[in-house]
Amino acid sequence: MTGGERRILHTDGVSVSFGGVRALVDVDLDVHESQLVGLIGPNGAGKTTFIDAITGFVRCRGHIELDGHDLSSLPPHARAQLGLARTWQSIELFDDLTVRENLAVASHRQSVWAAVRETVSRPLASTTAMDETLALLGLEPLAEVLAIELSQANRKLVGVARALAAGPRLLCLDEPAAGLDSRERAELGRRLRSVVDAGTPTLLVDHDMGLVLSVCDHVVVLDFGKVIAHGPPSAVRRDSKVITAYLGSAAAELTDPSLESADEESRAGASEEP
Amino acid sequence: MKLVLLFALLGLGTGALIAGIALGVVLTYRGSGIINLATGAVAMVAGYAFWSLKTGFFGFQLGTLPALAITLVVATGVGALMEVGAFRPLRTASPLAKLAASLGILLTAQAAMLLGFGTTVKAAPPILPSSAVAVVGLTVPVDRFILAGAVIVIAVGLAALYRWSRFGLATRAASENEVAAMLVGLSPNQLSMVNTLLASLVAGLMGVLAASLVQLNSTTLPLQIVPALAAALFARFTSFGIACAAGLLIGIAQSLMYYASTQSWFPTDQGNPLPGIQQLLVFLIIIIAMFWRGASLPGRGELVERRLPSVPLPERLLRSAVIAGVVCVVALIVFPYDFRQALITSLIGAIIVMSFVVITGYVGQISVVQLALSGVAGFTLSHLVTDAGIGFPLGPIIAVAVTTLLGVLVAVSALRVRGVSLAVVTLAAALAMEQFIFVNSTWGGGSGGSPAPSPHLFGVNLGPTASFRGLDGDQPSAVFGFLVLAVTLALGVYVANLRRTSLGRRMIAVRANERAAAAAGVHVRNVKLIAFGLSSFVAGVAGTLYAYNFGSISATRFSALTALGLIAFAYIGGITMVSGAVLAGLISTEALFPHAFDKWFGISGNWALLVGGLALIITLRVHPEGIAGANYQRKQRRRAAGRGSRLKAWSSRWRAEEPTATSEVKP
Amino acid sequence: MKDILRIDGLTAGYDGAAVVRDLDLTVDAGEVVALLGPNGAGKTTTLRAISGIVRPMGGRLTFDGADLTTVSPSERARRGIAHVPEDRGIFFGLTVAEHFRLCHRGERLDERTAYEYFPLLRELRTRRVGLLSGGEQQMLAVGRALARRPRLLLLDELTLGLAPVIVERLLPVVRRYALDSGCGVLLVEQQIQLALEVVDRGYVLSRGEIVLHRPIEELRADRRLLIASYLGETRTREAEDDAAASG
Repeated sequence: MTGGERRILHTDGVSVSFGGVRALVDVDLDVHESQLVGLIGPNGAGKTTFIDAITGFVRCRGHIELDGHDLSSLPPHARAQLGLARTWQSIELFDDLTVRENLAVASHRQSVWAAVRETVSRPLASTTAMDETLALLGLEPLAEVLAIELSQANRKLVGVARALAAGPRLLCLDEPAAGLDSRERAELGRRLRSVVDAGTPTLLVDHDMGLVLSVCDHVVVLDFGKVIAHGPPSAVRRDSKVITAYLGSAAAELTDPSLESADEESRAGASEEP
Repeated sequence: MKLVLLFALLGLGTGALIAGIALGVVLTYRGSGIINLATGAVAMVAGYAFWSLKTGFFGFQLGTLPALAITLVVATGVGALMEVGAFRPLRTASPLAKLAASLGILLTAQAAMLLGFGTTVKAAPPILPSSAVAVVGLTVPVDRFILAGAVIVIAVGLAALYRWSRFGLATRAASENEVAAMLVGLSPNQLSMVNTLLASLVAGLMGVLAASLVQLNSTTLPLQIVPALAAALFARFTSFGIACAAGLLIGIAQSLMYYASTQSWFPTDQGNPLPGIQQLLVFLIIIIAMFWRGASLPGRGELVERRLPSVPLPERLLRSAVIAGVVCVVALIVFPYDFRQALITSLIGAIIVMSFVVITGYVGQISVVQLALSGVAGFTLSHLVTDAGIGFPLGPIIAVAVTTLLGVLVAVSALRVRGVSLAVVTLAAALAMEQFIFVNSTWGGGSGGSPAPSPHLFGVNLGPTASFRGLDGDQPSAVFGFLVLAVTLALGVYVANLRRTSLGRRMIAVRANERAAAAAGVHVRNVKLIAFGLSSFVAGVAGTLYAYNFGSISATRFSALTALGLIAFAYIGGITMVSGAVLAGLISTEALFPHAFDKWFGISGNWALLVGGLALIITLRVHPEGIAGANYQRKQRRRAAGRGSRLKAWSSRWRAEEPTATSEVKP
Repeated sequence: MKDILRIDGLTAGYDGAAVVRDLDLTVDAGEVVALLGPNGAGKTTTLRAISGIVRPMGGRLTFDGADLTTVSPSERARRGIAHVPEDRGIFFGLTVAEHFRLCHRGERLDERTAYEYFPLLRELRTRRVGLLSGGEQQMLAVGRALARRPRLLLLDELTLGLAPVIVERLLPVVRRYALDSGCGVLLVEQQIQLALEVVDRGYVLSRGEIVLHRPIEELRADRRLLIASYLGETRTREAEDDAAASG
């Protein structure tokens, strides 16, 4: 669909094994400019492992390229500095810092000399980039609040904002919607869409099929560490392999005729989106 | 060769004590996941209890058996108190908080013994037969074999208990997975209690039995926890057999070291054998144990809920600094000499606690070695003056630089060690540095201390002997006070301001979550190294001031026990804030508060330690942020009203947006 | 039939964030009830709230007529709630036989029942659990739970990561035990097909709320409902159904 645009993330044959267990097998996945790509799959399919692998938190085989840079042998913080930002399933904010400070940690570029000079530097001045990020996610009123005092939904948003604050080339979100109610999810989906539209391609991992299928441009489905399907949401929704993976084989047999109509509806709904 | 064997066998005595304490440490860890630094203190309390019952200290004398029976009841009682007063309320706290609580118990117990029995070493009444047996032509006191036999029997008994009894089974299960144990109806609280009681019983019994060999000493006995921790590390805090064997072997190794030190080839220090070899040995053993058995402790799938104390942003920093400066200047002039001295000591104490604020408060690493680093700075300063003639200001600058470098070196070697393990290894390092370097009369100060003449700048005396001496005209000089004050204020403002800088934020990010910090682009290793360097720099400055403060410098000021006490005071004051460090300085040993209490009410400094230990436990339970943090939060709450209304307005805006949001996403 | 477990308006979660909201649910004696729904819907949290590992933020749990609010997890276990968690809740350092000796004071486990339902366990008695296969571990987990003669059995993802052969054996055993003993069973299961074969009723949880509650016949007859709920469309569908029912 958007294959002609610039390729931001490119992975080639990414594989991860834990002991004898193969958690990921030859995963090829591309994310293009201004794309929101969803990565879904049943429990234990390897979604989080994939994010861990590309961000450098687990050792993997295969080739990982971000905007032309080969990341394969870099440590996590170096990948982060090249523009790969991520959030975590359990939101790992820095609880004792304010929202603005949380963002500032991420937006900082460092050298040894800068670090030494830092020790006597002036207190944090807010930068326009940071303000823009806060505005994009609607967090301005909370800028000076300590992370620990935030509601769950806002913690999720701050997690996304912190990842965004570094001005990343690619944003990886691990289950940003977990623990949110449906209203908050809808709100999150809308915010994510605006993040991508504002120019940050995003890889979204979430359990909530409803969310992923409604906001993503492209969806990749993992099962037992392998890509079993990929394509636009409408196609993935109909894919019998996907339904089998989620519901067991017998379910798939029943689906095709009955779901066809449902799918038409949802595609109609999706096309209304700008 | 025969003598080697003899000394090896003699070492079984200390070895049995170490093994007994190690068994206690393993028991407590398996029962509750706490590394109980106070296990050696329990052995000490039992030793003193038995001594006083046998010698009629309380006005009545008992026979050996009744005295032993009562002593064991006392030891168990101490265990129950620890469990109910400290461990149970902190069940869901972080492992570091639990460790700090056990530190509080250690300090309390030690201060209590000092208050009750004084500092003189007591020869414990013999409880074991004093006869000797012949072993391959050597005459060895039989008590060594009895002691070793006893601890081996206990270890075997405990192993059997854990292997076959319902209770042992339950503890093994709970220590593997606490949540699953609750699901099958086991009560972690009960298991923890029984294990702590057993641990106290074992440590207490070995304390009584071994006390006659090692003498009753309230300074050395609680610190037997350090070799015991080495043994427990070898056992991965799990195996009784390994803990017992490693404990006995460490005792034997120490005894052989002692034998070696009597030989002509052994390196000497001004005619005496090199001191501190045994402590150095234990430190090396701990390093080996960590490399060999891994630096991280076995997890237990427990529920950790409570977070670390918060690190608030400093407010009106310069105003507070100016006010504090003016108050102190006036006080330094007006105060009588003894209070002036106490104030100066308080300020230096505040500086050393600031080094804990950086490393423990901001970065979340408990490093016991900071005070020893101060000592390095102090002794370097002293030796630069006396041996090389390098005085003020070059001397202290070199001393502080050396200390900072050493701190970074320590950090490089300890980078992979974190949390509780770091506390253990730095405690051993502190003890080794105290005994091996500071006590050494060539490198350190020996028994008499090493001189540190007053600093002079352009011929002006800035030291305690300077001519301007405040209103009463006595030493120490107020000029030295001003110098210390200036340094304290500068470092205080610096450390507090650090919290606002990007570096400070990255430190707190590392403390909160190393993984997430790395994902946010923070170079975790560099941040830790810089933090260790800064903390060591601050500690080094404090060390040089200590040296000038008393005109000479000695090992006791930088002892491992003093370091543990300072950490306790730091927690009570508030380990995450500079204002907390100032408070900690004021209540630390020989500082203003204890001095005032001593002077006005005749309450000795040991009471301050006793209260300090208790206050530490209470602080951890009630207010982990310490006094300064509690104060800050009270202010925040008062201010919250205004912000609350603003938040409410904002959330209603969100709600107003809701319908559009829903319609957009839902198909 | 009398309900052994009754949940009214349960809200539960972690760190002050609700994962399950305002949930009502009952389990009767001798009944097997399935708690279905997509990943992250709050099924595990519900089970954890029932056994007490998660402290509910609101709502009321009644077990066998008694309020559970102030009862500790260990005490709940003693009163007859057996929870087999997702990680199986067994201890790798212990042998199989030791698991049957692991009990609180005054309790005797009924080893025989466990061996009766899972004869294989008898042969593995002296084996260390860490050395058992996944299926054997799961049999032990369930067998141990049965040996405690539970009044209520909570099973979380029993079949996760197990070979199909074993999966097909496990759930029918649970069904049989419920019939034999009158124990109520609440099970969370990803393998919906298998679950539908053994349960009496099913709840579908989505995003922390119950979106579907039907007797098994209806669920079997109209799988569209289930599939839709998994793909995140249930809310609208249910709403339509409700509207149709009321109108």
